[in-house]
Amino acid sequence: MFSSLRSTPAKTVTVTVNSQSVAAPEGQTVWATMALAGQLTTRKAALSGEDRSAFCAMGVCFECLVQIDGTPNQQACLRRVRDGMHIQTQDITETSKAPIQGIPE
Amino acid sequence: MTYDCVIVGAGPAGMSAAIELANAGARVLVLDRAPRAGGQIFRSAANSPLSDSGALGTDYTAGSKLIERFEASNAEHLSEADVWHVGEDGTVLYTQDGIPRTVQTREILLCPGAMERPMPIPGWTLPGVMTAGAAQVMLKSDAMVAERAIFAGSGPLLYLIVAQYLRLGVKVAALVDTTPRRNYLTSLPKVPGALRSWPMMFKGLGMMREIASSGIPVFKGASNLRVLGQDMATGLEFGCREQQRVMSNHVFLHHGVIPHSNISRSLGLSHIWNAAQHCWQVQTDAWGQSSVPHVSVAGDGAGIIGADAAQSAGRLTALNILKRLGRLTPAERDRKASEDHAVLAKMAPFRAFIDQLYGPSKCLCLPQQADTIVCRCEERRLQDLKEGFEQGARDPNALKSLTRCGMGPCQGRQCGPIVSSLLADWRQEPEAQVGYYRLRSPQRLLSLEELSRFQSRPRGGAE
Ligand SMILES: Cc1cc2nc3c(=O)[nH]c(=O)nc-3n(C[C@H](O)[C@H](O)[C@H](O)COP(=O)(O)OP(=O)(O)OC[C@H]3O[C@@H](n4cnc5c(N)ncnc54)[C@H](O)[C@@H]3O)c2cc1C
Ligand code: FES
Repeated sequence: MFSSLRSTPAKTVTVTVNSQSVAAPEGQTVWATMALAGQLTTRKAALSGEDRSAFCAMGVCFECLVQIDGTPNQQACLRRVRDGMHIQTQDITETSKAPIQGIPE
Repeated sequence: MTYDCVIVGAGPAGMSAAIELANAGARVLVLDRAPRAGGQIFRSAANSPLSDSGALGTDYTAGSKLIERFEASNAEHLSEADVWHVGEDGTVLYTQDGIPRTVQTREILLCPGAMERPMPIPGWTLPGVMTAGAAQVMLKSDAMVAERAIFAGSGPLLYLIVAQYLRLGVKVAALVDTTPRRNYLTSLPKVPGALRSWPMMFKGLGMMREIASSGIPVFKGASNLRVLGQDMATGLEFGCREQQRVMSNHVFLHHGVIPHSNISRSLGLSHIWNAAQHCWQVQTDAWGQSSVPHVSVAGDGAGIIGADAAQSAGRLTALNILKRLGRLTPAERDRKASEDHAVLAKMAPFRAFIDQLYGPSKCLCLPQQADTIVCRCEERRLQDLKEGFEQGARDPNALKSLTRCGMGPCQGRQCGPIVSSLLADWRQEPEAQVGYYRLRSPQRLLSLEELSRFQSRPRGGAE
């Protein structure tokens, strides 16, 4: 179980994680907010659809990809909560729509 | 407007370089994706969410001094700025607050730091399995801890987080130490040299004593690790004299750090295989200058040296950039550099000792079971890669196009080092011969929606 040792509860915001309403200190990472709410599944694996969860917490494994306010492929360990944010487990697998990659020319 | 130097990364290396450059009057911009400067070691040191950040150690709290000096300098700093393209032409693209932006610079200094060496053991993709560095990051940035966790692997950063947890009163299920017993012998000849950095030696020994006297179960010389569980981690099985099992929903893995090279790779800079540290690193001269003269790399991102040395390396690299910008003569550069060159030389034997003692064992670098996942993103297992190799894919890029290993969102950050070493093993040739994936920008997934918000940087002058 994850728990928080945060000293003074900073200003809190309210977000939803897979429809569950969660209060979180402003500026907390999306991943910590999910983990402390007991919602550990960030995304489904591309082929098997198995549950995946944050692995590195520092932006290098891309296991923590979630959908934030409807936008997929957001790294939960790098993004921070804002009031009213909607966070959802990402369910993009081989059979669903592939993400878009590109670079401006 | 064009900057004299754009620095990627506000860790010890990037901050030290920025201070040096700004003090000499250069126009510097530092980009970091973190909300506050500090890098890995000093993450949130200046704004810790913990009431007792002293438990993280004096190294950590000392970081706020460097952060203050950096923030008081004339270097511009953009936090929460995620860099996803660096071009040889001096174009740097990043996203801040959901908006992609561009800046132009004469000199580029990459200080992206390190990442943890992937540890492909059975079950390493199960929810509940994370890296020891992740435990560090979660503790520092969000004061979040995992109760009754297992820590498994080897190396100073693994012991550091265990000691920090214990000091904070967080229960630890076990430390499963994979350091091979013979390493204590083979590293002995390096002890006298390492003692030149005796404060570091004593700090390390003190930490080990702290763990030993805490009474938590410590398994030394462990091997054959396997994470237990179907849908999530339930424990760890390993050999230590006999077969052992420790149950927990949290398993933190670690066996050393390696330079984070995705930007330097995408830039097409030359990289070399560092056999002593068992990792790839960008090729630089003694001034951090890469194979492209106006691109320099400093700190752990250029080869693992640790936080103190990273500060010296940052300053040295800055001095050379000042010379390149015409703000210092070669003689001035050399004179100002002598102290930091000496510091680096003094620290090298200690690093060599650590590298020998905690050098990664082959059976943790290479997956040992046919069905162990190598590519976490595309779910490619050892057997899939072996099959690809037998079909003739003998180098990383061929194996990638044949098997899709390395084509997922992490762009090979996790499987890349494993694939190089697997092919080296199968080909019976050194990694240097085998090579690494060819990488391209952008450094992460971008959506068209994000790109559509693209803006030239409004602040700091016209574009
Ligand atoms: C997870 C982890 C935890 C560690 N903890 C410790 C510790 O507690 N004590 C210790 O002695 N050593 C620790 N280390 C080792 C660490 O590498 C060095 O101690 C030291 O921090 C290296 O300094 P640096 O300046 O080279 O890089 P870092 O301190 O790693 O700084 C690099 C900075 O670059 C930023 N960055 C990287 N890529 C981008 C990008 N594309 N866009 C924007 N910003 C970017 C990062 O956010 C980071 O702030 C840790 C390493 C890791 C990987
Ligand atoms: S947990 Fe690895 S990228 Fe977020």
